[in-house]
Amino acid sequence: MMNKLIFGRYIPGDSFIHTMDPRAKLIASFYFIGIIFLANNWQTYGILAIFTLFAIFLSKVNIRFFIRGIKPLIWLILFTVALQMLFTQGGDVYFSWGIFTITEFGVVNGLFIFCRFVLIIFMSTLLTLTTPPLDLSDAIEYLLRPLKVVRFPVHEVSLMLSIALRFVPTLMDETEKIMNAQRARGVDFGEGNLIQKMKAVVPLLIPLFVSSFNRAEDLATAMEARGYQGGEGRTKYRVLHWHLKDTVVMLAFAVLTVILILIRS
Amino acid sequence: MDIRFEQVDFTYQPNTPFEQRALFDLNLTIEDGSYTAIVGHTGSGKSTLLQHLNALVKPTKGKVTIGDREIIPETNNKNLKPIRKKVGIVFQFPEAQLFEETVAKDIAFGPKNFSVSVEEAERLAAEMLDLVGLDASYLERSPFELSGGQMRRVAIAGVLAMEPEVLVLDEPTAGLDPQGRKEMMEMFQRLHEERGMTIVLVTHLMDDVANYANHVIVLEKGKIVKSGTPQEVFQNIQWLKEKQLGVPTAASFADKLMAKGVSFEELPLTAEALADDLLKDLQKAGDNL
Repeated sequence: MMNKLIFGRYIPGDSFIHTMDPRAKLIASFYFIGIIFLANNWQTYGILAIFTLFAIFLSKVNIRFFIRGIKPLIWLILFTVALQMLFTQGGDVYFSWGIFTITEFGVVNGLFIFCRFVLIIFMSTLLTLTTPPLDLSDAIEYLLRPLKVVRFPVHEVSLMLSIALRFVPTLMDETEKIMNAQRARGVDFGEGNLIQKMKAVVPLLIPLFVSSFNRAEDLATAMEARGYQGGEGRTKYRVLHWHLKDTVVMLAFAVLTVILILIRS
Repeated sequence: MDIRFEQVDFTYQPNTPFEQRALFDLNLTIEDGSYTAIVGHTGSGKSTLLQHLNALVKPTKGKVTIGDREIIPETNNKNLKPIRKKVGIVFQFPEAQLFEETVAKDIAFGPKNFSVSVEEAERLAAEMLDLVGLDASYLERSPFELSGGQMRRVAIAGVLAMEPEVLVLDEPTAGLDPQGRKEMMEMFQRLHEERGMTIVLVTHLMDDVANYANHVIVLEKGKIVKSGTPQEVFQNIQWLKEKQLGVPTAASFADKLMAKGVSFEELPLTAEALADDLLKDLQKAGDNL
């Protein structure tokens, strides 16, 4: 069931993208999502697509992964595209039936939105496929640091984040185990009507919560026993390094932005 | 009720980049009324095999026959409940599956899912709680206020309450104290002897295998590398050591004695067998004096 989830997984490797600084990757991904809204014609979308495909090529990750990443969202994408197509007015009218009209602008807009979705998903999948979750949380901690000025608990948030990330696979395993145990006791998950389905979840949810509480207690005790007293005065084991290539990537994004602004209509 | 595997292959996440093959061309039979032990390293596919026994997973290739039901890759996921009732599985650390407000309700949960009447389910709950060695005062307590060992017993009672014909145990004594471990293993042995229950035991403890099982299957990397009676499987101590599987304590001691010149008709696997053999030797030596 959860095995189908590609988005959010990490695939080990040592490509150009893999060895980039996670801060650079994080900034770049968010920046990319920002500049995607600059694109408004075929040329700009073409350049963004080439740029994305080149990044995927650099990551040496099989393109099948990325296409799989789209699958869970395909209905959302198609729904949005369909809405755009059916309700956008303007240009030549190809087809009309009641309030639905398919027009030239509608089709073009729909396709643009489709491209936008796909590119955003590709880029964010690229980020998660090539960056270990812990690196990501380090990067987030670093980037949130300025917020300390406004008394934002940066250390606590990033600690929670890294613990949460660390326990996602463990909890998934546990879910699967408890599901199997309850199925062996005669529970049918996902069968029957809505109420039956919801009732069937109780024997799964309660043990999961209970074990999370126990786990939290054990973890807190273990952390305290190892001398954890909060964020003050801690040194870092994992240190992030900004390399020349990270700067190069940032420059590439700057150039991309300039090109987009120049050729957008 | 026999369980038969015919050329069973199993692959996790087939046709994805994360594809991983866990079982390779397995052929085995778990006979009605037998006590089968499955041993092997971590990651040898024991738990995967286990899930085939009551159709929690379906083979990617081949055929599993459970009683009179055949499970093939194309088998529909519906109507598998009768199988689940006949084959009860106690998973590792089964205390994690408790969820009801009271012990009685939790034990009765399984039977109720198989359409047993409420009164009957409650009667079963009381009976099974007694069987696993807890008295009736526990019936109305919350499972979450019990100790780890007691929770384990309640969880096992919950599986027994379904009155399965085949009981599958995945390291049922892991993490228990020696006393609890012994009590539990003896309880399973009683179920096997008195009620004729077929038992499949997955374990790392070779002493348990030697003491209780009458059929052993050794798995390695998803393949069966050896199977037979404990006598046959444990005969070659050198082989076991090479495979880094444990050797029963008695057999290992007997092996050391043999190196010192003591001879045995056949390798003793349990402490009793070893003591009997040694006693015979001593008597013989006494007679010769």
